[in-house]
Amino acid sequence: MSMYGSTRGYNPGVTMYKNMDIENMPKDKQPSSDGGLLSRKSMNTMNKNMNYSNPAIRVAKQMEVIRNFRNSMKNGDA
Amino acid sequence: MAMLETNEPMLDGPIPGESLTAELGARPWQSPPQYANVDDVIDYYMSRMSQEDFMVQLVDVLEMGAPVSAIANSIQLSGVMQGLHTIDSGILVMPVIMEMIMMLGDAAGVKYESGIDNPNKNKTRTSLLAKVAMEYDKKLEEVDIKEAVEEKEEEPDVQYSSGLMARRK
Repeated sequence: MSMYGSTRGYNPGVTMYKNMDIENMPKDKQPSSDGGLLSRKSMNTMNKNMNYSNPAIRVAKQMEVIRNFRNSMKNGDA
Repeated sequence: MAMLETNEPMLDGPIPGESLTAELGARPWQSPPQYANVDDVIDYYMSRMSQEDFMVQLVDVLEMGAPVSAIANSIQLSGVMQGLHTIDSGILVMPVIMEMIMMLGDAAGVKYESGIDNPNKNKTRTSLLAKVAMEYDKKLEEVDIKEAVEEKEEEPDVQYSSGLMARRK
């Protein structure tokens, strides 16, 4: 077997996976839950510094969700 | 009795230029993809990978020792061949596919090989071994073995027995 798990040599997915620095990615704002049921809530939780039209960032966000679930599964939370 | 010959060369591969013999646009990957953006591609793979039969087969393949990166690459390439998405979208969504595969492997309790780390990381390089062996050979050539043996023979072999009551020469 050649390097990095692929049987046919270079695998671009490995490079993609390694370059996805999702741990250091800016986090989305958590919706504030203070106040009562009728309090005004901000619906836009997206981080303004992130360019969501960039496909790589969209992929990273999806990956982050799965990674968080995986980590919680490992810790026995899920 | 006819014997199965396994050393025959494989001559059933495509001949050069065979890929150009089909009508342009006849292949699925030559027509516009079914899913044009990354979100649609991810949705497609998420729904497909959530199917039970897929999960069972995936766990079997992981248990066989196939690396996650190679499985993910095969999955996205088959999508390209079916004309579901372009190869660019396929490569873009590969981290999500890999993450999903690893999550399914974790959920099934399979010890899988991710294929992300370099398997030769902690191994000694063969080039380094060759270099050390060459230097060792050079040093051996420099040493005159005959002289070294003679010096050793000249040394008197004196053995002193220990103890207060031992006989002395």
